[in-house]
Amino acid sequence: MKKFLLLSIMFCFCSVILAQKVTIKAVDQPASVVFRGIVEQTGKNFVYSSDLLKNMRVSVNVKDRPLKEALSIMFKDTDIEWKIKGKNIILKKRVIVDRPKRVDNKTVVTSSKLNMSPPIPKMLDEVVVVSRLEAPAVDTSEIGAKKLTAHEIINTPVIFGESDVIKALQMQPGISEGQEGMAGMNVHGGNSDENLYMLDNVPLYQVNHFAGLFSAFNAEAIRYIDFFKSSIPAKYDGRLSSFLDVRTKNGSQEGHHGSFRLGLTSGAFNIDGPIGKNTTYSVALRRSWFDVLTIPMLALVNSNSDDDKIRFHYAFMDLNAKVTHRFSNRATGFASVYFGNDILKTGSSDKQQPEIGWYDDDKFDFHWGNLVAQTGFNYRFKPDLTAEFTAAYTRYFSGMKHDWLFKDIVTGGAIETHSVSQTKNNINDWIFRADFDWSPNEISRVRFGGNYILHSFLPARTERNYTVGTTQINTRDSTWAYTANEANVYIEDDWHINDKFRMNAGLHLSLFNIEGKTDFGYGPRLSLSYRPDENWAVKTAYARTNQYVHQLSQTYLSLPSDQWVPVTRGFKPQNADKISLGAYWQSENKMFVASVEGYYKIMRNLVEYRDEYYLQPPTEMWNAELCSGNGTAKGIDFKVEKIFGKLTGHISYSLAWSDRTFPDKNGGMKFPARFDNRHTINILVNWNISDKVSINAAWVGHSGNRFTLLPQVWGSPDFGSMYSDDETPLKTTINNYQLPFYHRLDLSCVVHNKRGYWTFGLFNAYCHMNTVAIRRSYDKNYNPVFQKVKLLPIIPSISYTWQF
Amino acid sequence: MLFAATLLTGCYEDFTPEIDTKPVLCLNSLITAGKPIKVKVTHTWMYNDKEAQHDHSVHDAKVTILANGNIVGSDYRPSEGDKIRIMAESPVYGSATADVVIPFATPIGKVKVTPVVTDIWKGDEGFYNYEMLADITFNLNVEMDVDDPAGIENYYNFGYNWFNTIIDDDGNIDDELYAFAYNPFSIGKFEYDAEPIFKEHIGIFETIMGNDEDTGFLFFSDRQFPGKSYTLHLKYINNVFRVKSQPYDESLLECGVNLYLTTVSPSYYFWAVYKWNADQGILGDLSDIGLAESKWGYSNVSTGAGVVAAQASTQYTIDLKDFLKNYIKNNK
Repeated sequence: MKKFLLLSIMFCFCSVILAQKVTIKAVDQPASVVFRGIVEQTGKNFVYSSDLLKNMRVSVNVKDRPLKEALSIMFKDTDIEWKIKGKNIILKKRVIVDRPKRVDNKTVVTSSKLNMSPPIPKMLDEVVVVSRLEAPAVDTSEIGAKKLTAHEIINTPVIFGESDVIKALQMQPGISEGQEGMAGMNVHGGNSDENLYMLDNVPLYQVNHFAGLFSAFNAEAIRYIDFFKSSIPAKYDGRLSSFLDVRTKNGSQEGHHGSFRLGLTSGAFNIDGPIGKNTTYSVALRRSWFDVLTIPMLALVNSNSDDDKIRFHYAFMDLNAKVTHRFSNRATGFASVYFGNDILKTGSSDKQQPEIGWYDDDKFDFHWGNLVAQTGFNYRFKPDLTAEFTAAYTRYFSGMKHDWLFKDIVTGGAIETHSVSQTKNNINDWIFRADFDWSPNEISRVRFGGNYILHSFLPARTERNYTVGTTQINTRDSTWAYTANEANVYIEDDWHINDKFRMNAGLHLSLFNIEGKTDFGYGPRLSLSYRPDENWAVKTAYARTNQYVHQLSQTYLSLPSDQWVPVTRGFKPQNADKISLGAYWQSENKMFVASVEGYYKIMRNLVEYRDEYYLQPPTEMWNAELCSGNGTAKGIDFKVEKIFGKLTGHISYSLAWSDRTFPDKNGGMKFPARFDNRHTINILVNWNISDKVSINAAWVGHSGNRFTLLPQVWGSPDFGSMYSDDETPLKTTINNYQLPFYHRLDLSCVVHNKRGYWTFGLFNAYCHMNTVAIRRSYDKNYNPVFQKVKLLPIIPSISYTWQF
Repeated sequence: MLFAATLLTGCYEDFTPEIDTKPVLCLNSLITAGKPIKVKVTHTWMYNDKEAQHDHSVHDAKVTILANGNIVGSDYRPSEGDKIRIMAESPVYGSATADVVIPFATPIGKVKVTPVVTDIWKGDEGFYNYEMLADITFNLNVEMDVDDPAGIENYYNFGYNWFNTIIDDDGNIDDELYAFAYNPFSIGKFEYDAEPIFKEHIGIFETIMGNDEDTGFLFFSDRQFPGKSYTLHLKYINNVFRVKSQPYDESLLECGVNLYLTTVSPSYYFWAVYKWNADQGILGDLSDIGLAESKWGYSNVSTGAGVVAAQASTQYTIDLKDFLKNYIKNNK
C-alpha cells in the first residue's frame, strides 16, 4: 500500500500563514518533502544527519496546529528526537522507548509510520546536516528550477560583501553575469531584460542599485527565492528566459528578533515579531552610507576653496515592511511595502570675484527606483482548495535633471543664463490577481487563476529650457505615454501518474492591448518526469513564454536612462519556445546530487537598437531607433553538488551557444550574442569548519564575452575645419572578437561570536584583472596600439552583523 | 560615478589581437554644386600598423565618375539634382562604389536682424589711448527663415563669417589682410544655445550628462518642419566695432555678417552626427572602456570606408553699415 498511497500533499504555501501554526496533509510522503512544506510555512530549518531519514516516509494531517504538535505527530513512534532551537529544528536519533499513545481531539492522524530500511547503522553525531528548502531534483518534474534560502545567499561571496540574490544565482549553470561585477543575469543565452523579477509575486522593473553593482533585494528580508529557467510553471509569463520570485520574511510569533549589519558599502537593520496574538510584522531597511563620508569630506574640501565648490551625494536604500494577520483558521491576510531608491546628486559651482566676473553653478540630479505596495488575502474554502487574492501597485520611476546657471557679472548687473534639461521615465501598474490551489484527489494538484494589469507607461518625458536674462529662448517638450491593458489566465496540473511517472501540464493565456492593438499570447507548458528508481530521474520539458515589454539601454550599466517600453505598433510581442531534457541522480545517502540538462531555445521578435541608431535624431519616436529579430540558444549544463556535511557546494560546467539574426543589424547576417560564452565553469564551496567559523569560496571561469572589435581604420574625410583629419574605425561584423578567458575567485569567511557574526570577504582574491573590452589608444611613444581594458582588482570587504 | 571609479581602478595592457582582417579601398569626396569633383582614394589599415600610419594613399586605382549614368571627366561641374556615382578599382585593395545626389540649395527666406548696443567705451583722446575713439559693443539677434522644400528629406549645415574694411597700420583702407592689419569689426560669440535645432542630434542622456554644450555643431535636419518654414534664432553677442580716431569716412563702416545655408547630402549629415558621437558623446567614451556598444564610422561607400558627400549653398549678407552710421551719428 505504501507506494500507491502517494498522495497529495497539501501545504498552504501561502506566505501569510502564521509562523508557528502549520497545515500539513501528507500520506506516505518522503519526510524531506514534508519538511519542505514546514520550512516554507515556518521559515525554520531542519537540521539532521543525512543518514537519519533514509527512506523515511510519513503520513500526517494537521490543520492550523502548533508546530510542536505537528512535529510530535510526525515523529511519534519513531526513534527520532526533535528540538526547536532558534530558527532550527534539530533532529537526532534516540533510543526508542514505548510510550502511551497520545489522543488529541483536534488532530486527525490518519497514519504515521516509519519505514527505516535498512535500519540506521550507527549512532549519529548531533547536528551535522542542514535540511534544504529545495526538493531533491529526482522528486520533482521540473527542469532548471532552483530554490535558494537566505542562508545560501549570504554564504555566496560577492563584491563588497553585499549579499545578493542575483549574484548567488549567477553561480548556477546556464546563467551569465553579463558585465563583470554586475548583478545582471543572462539566462540560457537570453537578454538581461528577459527575466521577470518578482517580490512576493509582484513584478519589479528596477532591480539594481549603484549602476547595477548590487541587486535591489536585501538579503536580510528574504525568506527564500524560487527561480525557474526551463520548466516554467503556467502561473508565470511575461518574460522569455526566467522567473525569479523573491519571497520575503514573515514576522515571528515567538518574540521580537532582529539584526543590525554594518558593511563596507551599506548598513542594514531588520526586526520582526508579533503584534498581539494573531498579527506579526517584519521590517528590513538597508541603506548605503557613502554619503556619511562624502558629505563631511566635501564640506572640508569646499571650506578650503573660496571659489570652487564640489557637490556629490550618492545613496541607495531599500525598505521591506510586511504585516500579516490571521483572521481565522481559514483566513489570513497581509499587507506589504517595498521601496527601493537610488539618488545621485553631483555637480560643481565656481565663481570668479563677486563684483565683476562670473558665477557658474552646474547641478546633476538623478534618482531611480521602484515602489511596490500590495495586500493579499488567503482563504481556505475547504481542506483541498485554497485561494490567494492580491491587489498590488508597482511603480518604476527614474528621473534625470541637469540644471546649469551661469551669471556673467558686469558692472551694474549680471547677464544670467539658465539651462534646465530633465527627463522622466515611469511605469505604473495596478495588478489584481486571484490564484487557486486545488487538490481534487490524491494524485493531482491543480493550480489556476488569473490577473488583470493596468499599465501606464511613460517611456520618456523630456523638457529642455534655456533662458538668457528674462527671455526664454527655447523650450522643447516631448512626451510619449501609453496605457495598456493586460489580462492573463492559467491552469496547470501536477499529476503523479504513478510511482515512476509524474507530469506537470499547463497553459497560460495572455492578452495585451495597447494603442488599439490587441496581441494574444499562448503559453503551453509541459514537464514530464520518469523515475526508474529511487535515485534516478529523467525529465523533459517544453515551455512557450511571451513578453510584452522590453528594456532599452544604451550602455551595459544599469542607469536611470534605461527605459522600459511596451510593444507598440510596428512591433510584435516577443516569444520563445524552449525544449529541455535532463537526467538527475542522487547518491544513496542523498549527499551527492548530479544532473545534466540540455536545452534548445528559439526566441522571436527580440528588440534591439539598430546599427548606427545614434545617427537618428532623438526627436524621432523612440521606436524608430529599434529593430526586431530572432535568436537561438542551445547548450548543456552539468552539475555535481554535495548538499550535506561540513563541506558543501557544487561544481558546474556549461557548454552553450547563443546567436541573433536581425534583418537590420549586421547586414542581416547571424551574429553571436554578446554573452555567447562557450564554456563556463562554476565552483562554489561552503566549508563549515566549526559552529563558529565557515569559509566560502566561489570560482568562476568562462570563455570571454563577445566584443565588436574594430581592427581596421580609414582616414577621415577633411570636410571642414571643424573636424580633425584623424582615423575612423571601419565597420565590421558584430561581436566578432572573443575576449580572453575570464576567471575570478571570491572568498568569504564568517566568524560567529556571542552577539552576531563577522563577514570578511575578498572579491577577485588572486587579483586577476579580467579584460572587459578592447580599446584603441596610444603607447607612451604615441604609437597606435590596441589595449585590453581591465576593470576590477582585488577588493576586500568586511561587515559585522549584530543579532538580537 | 562607476565610470569614474572604473577610470581610477582600471588598467590597460597593450596587445595585438589575432583577427582575420584585410584592408579595403576608401573613397572620400565632398562634391559642391558647380565645382569640379575631387576624390581622395586611400585604403584602410590595421589600426596598430605603424608602417601604414603615414601613407595610405592608393596610386594605382582607376577612378570612374558617372553623372546621371554617364561617364564624365574630372572637369565636370555637377549641377543640383545630379546623381553622381564614384567607382574605384585597385589591383591590391579591390573595388569601391558610392552614390550621392547633389542636393538642391534651399533659399534663405525672410531674415530679421535686430542689433542691440550693450556697451560703448570711449577712448581718452590725447592720452595713451589716442588711437582709439570708441568701442561699440552690441548684440545681434537674427531670425532667419529656412523654407524647406516639400517631398524630400533635407539636411542642412548653417555657417557664417564676417567681413569689414581692412585698415592698414597707417590708417589706410586695404584690400587684403596682412600682419598689421586692423579689423574694426569682430563677432564676439555665437550663442550656440539660442537655437535648439542645432542640438537635435543630442539625445537626452547626453544632455542630462551635461554634454550639450557648444561644440560648433551646426547641422540639422527638416524632420521637425518637413516642407514648412522654420525660423533659425541666431544670436551673436558681444560683437565689437572699433571707431578709430581719424577723419570720418563712411567706407570705414563697411562691415557685416554672411549667413550660409548649405543643403547637404544625407551622407554628410550622418557623417557629422557620427563624428559628434565619437568625439563628443559620452557614449563614445563608454564604448572605449567596454561599457557601451562599439561605434564604427559612418560610411556610404560600398566597402564601409569613406564618405562621399555633396552640398549646395545659399548666402545672405547682413549689412551693418547703416546701423553703425546711425548709432555713431546719434551718439557723437
